[in-house]
Amino acid sequence: MQRFIHITLFMVAVIGLAACDQKPVVQPSGRTVKIGIVAPFTGTDRAKGNEGLKGIHTAMQLMPYLQNGDAIKLVLEDDGNDSVRSVKALKKLAATDKVSAILTLSSSGPVLKMADVADDYKTPILALLATHPDITRNNHFISQFPFDDDFQGTVAAQYVRDELLMDRAAVVINPESAHSRHLGAKFAQEFQTLGGRTTNMVSLSGDTDDYESVVKRVRRKNPELVYLPIRAKAVIRLVQIAGKMDWHPQAMVGDGLLSTVLTKYRKEARLLDGLLASDFYAHQAPLSAYGKRLKSAYKGNATTYTALGMEGYALLVNALNRCRDPADRACINRMIRSTRNFTGLMGRISIESDGKARRPLFVNAIHDGHMKYVVKVY
Amino acid sequence: MTNYVSSALFVYTPDTKALIQRLQANSFGTAVTPVAIDDLLQNPQERLAGADHVVVAGTLDVIKQVLQFAREHAFSVGILPGETQKDLVRSYDLPRNLDAAVELALRRDAQVMDLILCNEQILLFKGAVGRVPLIDTPGAVNRPAMLVSAFKKFFGLKLLGFDLITAGGRRIETAACGCMILQHHVGSLASRLISHDSSLTDGMVSLVVAAPRSVVAYLRFLTRILFTLSAKHKRLPAAIGYVRSARIEITSETELDVFIDGRRATHTPLVCRTLPGAVRINIGPDLKEKSKGVRHSAERIDVDHLPKGKELLKARKQQKVPFFSYASEERFRDLFTALREDARINGAYLVLMVLSTLLATVGLYLNSASVVIGAMLLAPLMAPIVSLAMGLLRSDGMLARNSILKIMAGMAIALGAAALVTLLFADKPVTPEMEARLNPTLLDLGVAITAGVAGAYTKSFKEILQSLAGVAIAVALVPPLAVAGIGIGRGDLHFFSQAFLLFSTNLVGIILASAFTFRVLGYSPVIRGKRGIATVALFLALIAVPLSLSYDRIVQKRIIEKSWKKERFLVNGKYLIIQRARLSRRGGKELIFMDILARDALTRDDLMKFKQKIQTNFNRKLVLRVRTTYIP
Repeated sequence: MQRFIHITLFMVAVIGLAACDQKPVVQPSGRTVKIGIVAPFTGTDRAKGNEGLKGIHTAMQLMPYLQNGDAIKLVLEDDGNDSVRSVKALKKLAATDKVSAILTLSSSGPVLKMADVADDYKTPILALLATHPDITRNNHFISQFPFDDDFQGTVAAQYVRDELLMDRAAVVINPESAHSRHLGAKFAQEFQTLGGRTTNMVSLSGDTDDYESVVKRVRRKNPELVYLPIRAKAVIRLVQIAGKMDWHPQAMVGDGLLSTVLTKYRKEARLLDGLLASDFYAHQAPLSAYGKRLKSAYKGNATTYTALGMEGYALLVNALNRCRDPADRACINRMIRSTRNFTGLMGRISIESDGKARRPLFVNAIHDGHMKYVVKVY
Repeated sequence: MTNYVSSALFVYTPDTKALIQRLQANSFGTAVTPVAIDDLLQNPQERLAGADHVVVAGTLDVIKQVLQFAREHAFSVGILPGETQKDLVRSYDLPRNLDAAVELALRRDAQVMDLILCNEQILLFKGAVGRVPLIDTPGAVNRPAMLVSAFKKFFGLKLLGFDLITAGGRRIETAACGCMILQHHVGSLASRLISHDSSLTDGMVSLVVAAPRSVVAYLRFLTRILFTLSAKHKRLPAAIGYVRSARIEITSETELDVFIDGRRATHTPLVCRTLPGAVRINIGPDLKEKSKGVRHSAERIDVDHLPKGKELLKARKQQKVPFFSYASEERFRDLFTALREDARINGAYLVLMVLSTLLATVGLYLNSASVVIGAMLLAPLMAPIVSLAMGLLRSDGMLARNSILKIMAGMAIALGAAALVTLLFADKPVTPEMEARLNPTLLDLGVAITAGVAGAYTKSFKEILQSLAGVAIAVALVPPLAVAGIGIGRGDLHFFSQAFLLFSTNLVGIILASAFTFRVLGYSPVIRGKRGIATVALFLALIAVPLSLSYDRIVQKRIIEKSWKKERFLVNGKYLIIQRARLSRRGGKELIFMDILARDALTRDDLMKFKQKIQTNFNRKLVLRVRTTYIP
């Protein structure tokens, strides 16, 4: 009898403890809340849109409902990473589909155009990839989920100066990309402020430019590092040409590039051995509990875009949950911009009232064809 | 040159009738006359008249019947083994191939061999009495299969009383789970154990007796067999006895079935005797070669490992084989004398305790590991702790009480001496050697348990140098005790409590581990002092809670300290590189000591922002201690 009582008490305790750990089950309310997605699902940048969408879908598996039981419905708009189409998509989602909020996986250029009209539609937009600092300027409805190029450029310059202890750096930019122009300029400015010397500031646009002459021009000034906030394909070509000239300077690139290399240009990854990159994530960095759940839910190799999709969706749902009426766009916008210490995959994310994100930056490197985590900057 | 018999009878059964043609068509010039076994049994005199050589193929019973006739009619025997008669093939070195078997069976060079009769029944290779799980395990199987087979047979094993009487009149009274009678049997562990000492013509019956006195002994034997499977054993393992005599009479406490050559044939009492040179059999060339030069040997009795005297009485009383063995009386007596002596407080103990603590305290202040080790060499704490373990295990009130008093006296001296030294020092630095004793974890419990096992083990064997284990135990006790004393001297309760927790952990761990070791080594058939041991175990469980929390904290600390190596901060545009970070806990606060590299001078505002960033991103309140090195 005594043993029976002991066993019963033990069982009760175990069940009690297990129950404490259970999250309350959400009862579907029968209502739907719409979230718009503007992304390049076609065209040269389709990887960004499709990979990001995979992340959103994965996070959605874990959180298909709001806490009030409203089902979440995604409304997809393909903008092909084109500014005109982005604005059209914004208009449609805001006016016709009446979405509660928009997640965009487009680059800085299209999002800057959306920023011009964002206040007209008064629909909260969370930009998941665009890092240009002007995106949050002059509007109240676009918030940035990644760190911006000011932070990225500053950290890159500091890392090169203080950790690599290099004095001379060249910068190659794509003048057609607002992101590239700004990031390159910020890096150069900060590097000089820190006592370094920018040997060259070279423009390289499209496939038509003479890459060889660009490499020769840069090499002539003998920089220790070349900062390359340009497209992955262009980086690979430059490195190939430099290699043929038996010139192997340290190179550093901007956010998301390693992901593109490892997904689209896997074969060339070894060619880029030693390449440094600032990024939002690192493969070997410790994951948060939420990160672990997402990782086990996601089948396949997650890229930076996938991870941003996962985190961005979760942060938006968090903001929606904090509003009594999930259709109240003003409230959602306010909640997005008052997110504090939201636990992402590998660290905490805060969105300030000006729409800027505060989140850690990782410096990664390509080592033996794989991404290797070097440092994390808060 | 090989000679073959000119004529032979072939005794067959319905199953082996098909071999007649094969035999008659032999190319050795032997005239073969077939005779059915039934026909032979009906008219043996007529059928065997004039027969010099008989070839037989059939069951073991048929072969034994032919051997019986061979003994009476003095003819030689060739055997054609069946496919399933593997024991026969192995024991008589017979070819598996039929042509080769026919060739061997028709040879004219039969080997003279002994015949063993057990209760007047012929034993060809082995007989088993009772349960013989160890030695009856087939030796030819692979190690994992042998292990499984040995384990399966072990369940329900019990030692029974056996009386063995040899031809020389020697009587052996013992307890065993079973025994095996062997006639040059190849293929079991038993035959492997005595293979160096058995032959076909020694005129002896070999008896292997299995008496595992405990599960532990059984497992030890099994391990030895497994790891030396290919080697022949000149020395018998602990659980085995061996008797070799021309005649052995076996009587068991209760009537037991006797299996001869794998079949239930008779029961105890059993008389096995040998008929020297009774038959001539054509055996394989290797076995024949081995049998050359073997003489009749003397009776041998090797039963030192079998239970006798009081052990025998104990063994017979038990329902089944116990898990642990008993220590021998001699060992038991020696150990108890030593432990009783160890439990008494004497002057040498007190003096050594004072000296070792003084030395440890000074060593701790000097942060000198070598001085602390010197203190451990002096410390006499092992003796009363091990005595206490035995006292609790056997519920020996006097032994336990004396031991506790001695330990308490030692503790008081150590705490007092360390506190006094601390009070005398004007400067009271906290050295890393002291800090190392302020965060006890489960790993420390591991040290204590290992030291406890070592202490009890060395105490149990006079031949082992006991000071070695004494040092191991002192490692776990003297420095924590000295640090606790320093805590008293400093008036720092946290300091004292942490070090004393470590000391208590080690003390309790050593006592329990020592008690367990004594139990395993057979110094106590049961845990008599259940209440005492339960109290110690309860203490251990209680101590394990803070230790486990502390262990988790240390793991977290290591993770954090490691992760900091890759952490950087951008504070007010200033880039801070963390070179090293060390997390520490003092007075309930978490302190982080950081060495950082920075290019620009850090202001108070920078440091505040830096602290905020740490607290935000790591979700913990940390007291920051920063040492900055500026990058030129």
